[in-house]
Amino acid sequence: MDPINFNFLCSEPAMPNGRSVGIIGAGPSGLAATGYLSCLGYQVEVYDKLPKPGGLMLFGIPGYRIPKERIDLGARRLERQGGVIFHTHTKICCSGPLHDEEGDHFCREILGFGDMVKKHDAIMICTGSWRSRKLGIPGENLPGVFSGLEFLFPIRAVKYSAPNVKLPDVQGKAVAVIGAGHSAIDVAHSAIHLGAAKVYHIYRRTSREAPCGSFEIEQLKAMGVEWLERSSPVRVLGEGRVEGLEISRPGKDGPETIVLPVDLVVAAIGEVATPPFAKELGLENVRKGEVRWLHMTAIENVFVAGDALSGPSKIGKAVYSGLRAARSLANWLDLKAQDRLDAYDYNDLVANEAGFGRQA
Amino acid sequence: MSCGKTLYIDYSLCIGCETCEYVCRFTHDTSRIHMTRTVDGVMVPLYCLHCENPKCANACPRGALKKDKDGAVILQPMLCRGCQTKNCILACPHSAMFETDRGVMVAKCDMCAQRRQVGMGPACVEMCPCAAIRYVDRDEIPSLETEKSKQAHQKVLEHLKMPGK
Repeated sequence: MDPINFNFLCSEPAMPNGRSVGIIGAGPSGLAATGYLSCLGYQVEVYDKLPKPGGLMLFGIPGYRIPKERIDLGARRLERQGGVIFHTHTKICCSGPLHDEEGDHFCREILGFGDMVKKHDAIMICTGSWRSRKLGIPGENLPGVFSGLEFLFPIRAVKYSAPNVKLPDVQGKAVAVIGAGHSAIDVAHSAIHLGAAKVYHIYRRTSREAPCGSFEIEQLKAMGVEWLERSSPVRVLGEGRVEGLEISRPGKDGPETIVLPVDLVVAAIGEVATPPFAKELGLENVRKGEVRWLHMTAIENVFVAGDALSGPSKIGKAVYSGLRAARSLANWLDLKAQDRLDAYDYNDLVANEAGFGRQA
Repeated sequence: MSCGKTLYIDYSLCIGCETCEYVCRFTHDTSRIHMTRTVDGVMVPLYCLHCENPKCANACPRGALKKDKDGAVILQPMLCRGCQTKNCILACPHSAMFETDRGVMVAKCDMCAQRRQVGMGPACVEMCPCAAIRYVDRDEIPSLETEKSKQAHQKVLEHLKMPGK
């Protein structure tokens, strides 16, 4: 299989231009930006907490959807052709306490952000969305309750022999999956492959509205998954561990509650962006749609792209955002070198572009 | 004898991530490949198949659509300009001619003609994480098809079909 070509904008590497850029996060947006900048002759160094570049393309989305070697070889091509340096197992400190986000247990080295800003001519933050959304119901902190990422991540990560990662134990157990996005579908598939005795799939609306589409749901049903629509979780039951999940669904005379006898609950209901130093970098404006094309006002040589900027989205949007941010970064450095920063378009608002900014 | 190059998408491999669309948009400003989905959730990137006998070219009253040496169906803007029939858009069975609000108001894939001139392939193909879109010789396609890809293709055809036809 041909590797993915992050250097797709050039047929051969450019002469080194003497500038160095640090990219934090080796997911789709980070690697797209890396490809763009290395094509222009930048020395790009990429930092990622995980053992391999690829981000959620490698660690979140199952291998039968995105072939691992296509991403792996693509990263190697960046190293060989573009002279990119990858620092894996490395986290740039810190948006929250360590081990607060999925994948933190891989970190071997923690670098301070201040040193980064001094070391490189510019920094791009492409840290994505790694904090799982919570259900907000009683009992959700019991052992046996997982987020979609918590559940899926170790399945891929366990292959990279991290001592703290182990496969979720679902052999012979009953699992309740909540949500109807693609990762919820992947959780249900994985639970069955790992030998779950029974899988319930709970969704608050119907399969017609499901983001993953009814085709995927029909396939799940054919695999023996029990599909419960128009149902919402009310509380997780159990002492010391999960023993059941109480759900509410429409009955003959108004809503009724039933208890599912499950040992695990997986809430695959989405993630939120986890940019480091959100406050210092003014990222709270992200959600208000006031973000300029990828130029950070608070620290002028720090740029941001991908999910960290605009919240969880698709790979394509992340790639586009990484490319736009990289172009913006290169423009800024070029103009700065010529002492012409007043020509830089600081007012290129993300929100001005149709279909961008917030989720449609 | 080769009958030219084309793009081929295996719909059963596509996860609908929209990388093709956004890479195209970055490369050409207006994207020439568009992600849609069928009612039941199969992801369908609408794209030009650079047909051997292109209906768009046959329908064009000005001869603005021509095949280039590699087999790509190319839109020649200076001939297209001013035409209001939009015959090409109506004629395309793959919904791969796009109406836009810029230039000649029609956008279509040229298999990255400028990139091909300097020895590079179509950008979408380079960046698809799933290798679902390929840049191939047309006669290679039968050997790429699988049971799953044919099934998915059938679903897509039903999705694209005009109601009542």
